[in-house]
Amino acid sequence: MHLRPDELIDLAEGTRAESSATHLAACAVCRLHLAELKAMMSAAADVDVPEPSPLFWDHFSARVRQAVEAEGAPRRSFWTWPRVVIPAISVATVVLAVAVTLNWGRTERGIAPLPSIAPVPVALPVASVDLLADPQSAGDTALTLVAELSSDMDFETAREAGLAARGSAEHAVTHLTGSELRELQRLLQEELARSGA
Amino acid sequence: MASSLTWTLPGTWPLRTVTQPMRPVEPELADLDERALVEACLRGQSAAFDVIVERHRRSVYLLCYRFVSNHEDASDLSQDVFLRAYRGLRSFRGQSSLATWLYRIGVNVCLNRVSAKKPLSESIADRQFVDETAESAPDRLLKDERGARVRAAIAQLPRKQRATLVLRMYHEMSHQEIADVLGSSVGAVKANFFHALSNLKKMLGGEVL
Repeated sequence: MHLRPDELIDLAEGTRAESSATHLAACAVCRLHLAELKAMMSAAADVDVPEPSPLFWDHFSARVRQAVEAEGAPRRSFWTWPRVVIPAISVATVVLAVAVTLNWGRTERGIAPLPSIAPVPVALPVASVDLLADPQSAGDTALTLVAELSSDMDFETAREAGLAARGSAEHAVTHLTGSELRELQRLLQEELARSGA
Repeated sequence: MASSLTWTLPGTWPLRTVTQPMRPVEPELADLDERALVEACLRGQSAAFDVIVERHRRSVYLLCYRFVSNHEDASDLSQDVFLRAYRGLRSFRGQSSLATWLYRIGVNVCLNRVSAKKPLSESIADRQFVDETAESAPDRLLKDERGARVRAAIAQLPRKQRATLVLRMYHEMSHQEIADVLGSSVGAVKANFFHALSNLKKMLGGEVL
């Protein structure tokens, strides 16, 4: 049986000594194969690539730099998205749960559900007042809705309802500052837009 | 340190001088290892990518040239390799060297190109870039002709055989590294290398031996 291609390559490259291949001494076909492989390797190794001029390299680097600058910052890898998206979805779920629960509670008490648009200037407790007073929040219906839904509920109420145990995500949400809420809103909108919702 | 590169455009009178601003490489960046350079790029230090380009541009260009056998395409492909590398920099995890990662991108870019476009023959202008050595003119000519025949034969090899031969013969990569780049096994790499050399023998016969 003749030597296999990988065995011949090992012999041709010298990673295996010819003396270790006992078949080789007895087989003229394999010896011929080996000689041809070595000759082709030698012929291929002798082929130069024309070396560009030194000026070319400067020009090349400048071209790459221009292309890179046009490109902007390196893109975020697909695998890094879950680190952003999963917490955002978790927080969004909690916010929606809080909103639905509060709205349901209002309906149960005979209070009409809150309008989903048209920001209404109302006297709000501590955390929300700052938020709505912020000029950047003016006219932001989604933010207003979140603020209004939580306007008549303090932390203790939420905690008693089992919604916001200290250290929980709910607790974190009910203690978000105005800027944190805006960032949350931005992330949610991005995610909804990406998922086509 | 020179902050600009100046050269003269040929064929214009009066001689016109073009000055292109060059961003000086910060000394501390030049000293960084690959991983630190990648991290600097990801932090927004685009000068770090200049250092990566400067370190690897020649080997990437030579790789591309081995596939397409002409300067223009090799230059365009090399630029494409670096642009793709930049775009995908966040996916570089340092499991392989930056050179191996760039080769992987380069092989993919080149194989896609050569399957879409037949390799061009070398132009005389390309050959004029060759650094002349002490060889005599007839020797040089003979060597060039032989080299052109071998390059043309390599260009006709099947894609994986060509990639294997180029990476093994000209970039001194181990069989394992080639297997990583091509996404195959060491056994398959050796088999491809064997078949590449056998096919070269068939195409060239005894003319280069």
